[in-house]
Amino acid sequence: MYDVIVVGSGITGGWAAKEFCEKGFKTLVIERGRHIDHRGAEYTDMQAPWQIENRNKVPELFDEEGRYAMIERKGYFKNATKQFFIDDKEHPISYPKESPFKWIRGYQLGGRSLTWGRQSLRWGVKDFQANAKDGNGVPWPIGYEDLAPWYDYVESFIGVSANKDGLDTLPDGVFQKPWEMSCAEKFISENLKEAYSDRRLIIGRSANLTEPTKEQIELGRGQCQARAYCNRGCTFGGYFSSLSATLPAAERTGNLTVVTDSIVESVNYDDKLGKATGVTVIDAHTKQKRQYRAKVIFLCASALGTVQILLNSKSKSFPNGIANSSEAVGHYIMDHFSGVLANGEVPGFDDKFSIGRRPIATYIPNYRHEQKDGVDFVRGFGFQGTAQNRSNTGTAARRVGIGATVKDESNQAGPWRFRAIMYGEMLPNYDNHARLHPTDKDQWGIPILHIDARIRDNERKMIKQAAKDIKEILTVGGCVDIQVNEFPESKPIFVGDRVHEMGGACMGEDPKNSVLNKWAQTHDVKNLFVTDGACMSSCATQNPSLTYMAITARAADYATKLISQGLL
Amino acid sequence: MSNINISRRVFIGASMYLVATPIWASVFNSANALAVFTESGQFFTADELTILTDIAEIMIPRTNQPGATDAHVINVLDGLMLSWAGVETKFRYKSIIKQVEQIALASFKSDYKSVSQSDRESLITELDKRAFADRTSELSISYRKLKEMIFHIFYTSEEANPNFMLVPGTYKGDISKELLDLYNARGRVS
Repeated sequence: MYDVIVVGSGITGGWAAKEFCEKGFKTLVIERGRHIDHRGAEYTDMQAPWQIENRNKVPELFDEEGRYAMIERKGYFKNATKQFFIDDKEHPISYPKESPFKWIRGYQLGGRSLTWGRQSLRWGVKDFQANAKDGNGVPWPIGYEDLAPWYDYVESFIGVSANKDGLDTLPDGVFQKPWEMSCAEKFISENLKEAYSDRRLIIGRSANLTEPTKEQIELGRGQCQARAYCNRGCTFGGYFSSLSATLPAAERTGNLTVVTDSIVESVNYDDKLGKATGVTVIDAHTKQKRQYRAKVIFLCASALGTVQILLNSKSKSFPNGIANSSEAVGHYIMDHFSGVLANGEVPGFDDKFSIGRRPIATYIPNYRHEQKDGVDFVRGFGFQGTAQNRSNTGTAARRVGIGATVKDESNQAGPWRFRAIMYGEMLPNYDNHARLHPTDKDQWGIPILHIDARIRDNERKMIKQAAKDIKEILTVGGCVDIQVNEFPESKPIFVGDRVHEMGGACMGEDPKNSVLNKWAQTHDVKNLFVTDGACMSSCATQNPSLTYMAITARAADYATKLISQGLL
Repeated sequence: MSNINISRRVFIGASMYLVATPIWASVFNSANALAVFTESGQFFTADELTILTDIAEIMIPRTNQPGATDAHVINVLDGLMLSWAGVETKFRYKSIIKQVEQIALASFKSDYKSVSQSDRESLITELDKRAFADRTSELSISYRKLKEMIFHIFYTSEEANPNFMLVPGTYKGDISKELLDLYNARGRVS
């Protein structure tokens, strides 16, 4: 019998484990994937390009066998990183043909905290007010002020390099020294600041250490070395992951137990007690079932993983899944979406160069919280972009030309170019949902998820506006030769492609239309909490992990108080 | 060096795996610097390695900087055929070698290994032009795929990346050429 079971060891599972262990609670972390060691054999960050197996190309066999189909064309899916992603052929999902969905996963200790983008952005006041304001989704039961101290707390521990930009829409926090902007980025940033009152280009806020604290050093973490090999694992512990930070912090308390290769099939519920009693797991290899018991359960299995567990946890009291009296479990599935890519040359810096590989991009925060300029949509969008290096003439690998002259002209410094990608806020829509497939099961006998989440009219309107806006922004920023690529309206956009899937067990005041209360505690089962992306009631435009972590730390603090008072 | 043009008929003939009518207007050059392999690799035969190595060096020759042979491109490729290449790629790479041989034979009445260096360079140069002018033929697809991999292996080699820093230390985005050269010489951004 444990005090707490934490399902999942990723970015939120690690935080839950750290918080409970540090407060003296015997905590069991259950990870469905394999065990891996920080700085272990699976890290490939110390390999030069010529040392990486297959020169960093994934085996073509994958393509031939239809494996890794969801990510095979992604720039981050390489031979040096492939071990941190699962093969969707082995772990299938279902979706309607007309609304494809990507669920990009990593089943290993540390989960996707090993491969996350590290952009650590607070939500602002308006982001938490959006649902109540425009009537989409379930109103948030918390506001920025509730999370602000927890943002401070989380940022202090993980280490966020950022500039204090003084923006209401993107509150400042506890920051380490920011990464430097390139000369081209500074140029655009200054031009935008001069021309606009609402649009800024700022340096990204990155969970990469630039000024490690004593606490971080004691955990074995060191300063980021500007290699940008983060998703290969980091031997220096320069970026935050469960493996480099939260799990070691939990482990040193002596209160942590970790089991891997253990797939949580369901949360067990005692109808008489009215409590969750533990979980049933299936051994990933032997497929044998076993159970663990605890006073409190924290589901941190990733948004859709948690939805799957909730829906599969059926009992007399909850025939449609535990904590689902509202019938809201699985609904309001969201992701950020793109649809606009743009780039423009930044003239005037032909005598300037860069060196090193900065691990973060620059960012244009959402400036469209209000429906200004006569736009016909609600919510807004921002842009992530970069001109950290000069462009490069490249090689003739894919174009005509061979020989000495072609070789000499290859890989020469070209002009600075700023590239930007839109990040839009997808509305929380009840119809965007995930449910258990009625017949199809995975290799462990668990029903697979059927996910039907669509980019709808509001999002399509945003794409059109974003294409107009970025052209103007780049022009005002001083760019020339601007190219804007708008995704065709006729083509479906994969929800999940941004790997920010969230929702499915939303927070809200009303138990009739939401799954969780303001503490991320299920309305129906007091000792069951959900603090991963499933808890989100809206998705804003900011990368969500920092907010997940803050919600987790806050919920764990609340739960420890309840446990101490004997209320759970 | 011969001033030759590969004809459309030869191109199409080779791409169909047929022995095409030789129509090269060529002059054989007996000084054909060619590295001839005597042992087979893991995947390619000695003859295939000879031709591939020559093709790679023609594509990326040694200048005042290392070339494909210096970077052991074909040796690496031979290994990758077992660990990376799929069934189609294995077929295509074997196929393009045979097709190059057939074009040489049709054009010069001589096997590829006996053709002069300048004619081999002309042949591969022409093949490159043709492959990118019409991307639909099997010959074009196989050639372009081979070229892409040869370039990939070369440009990820140590020889092609003398300034690569595994651990730069930090990032700077507004430096002069002189400072860039200094940091590169130090092998670290500091």
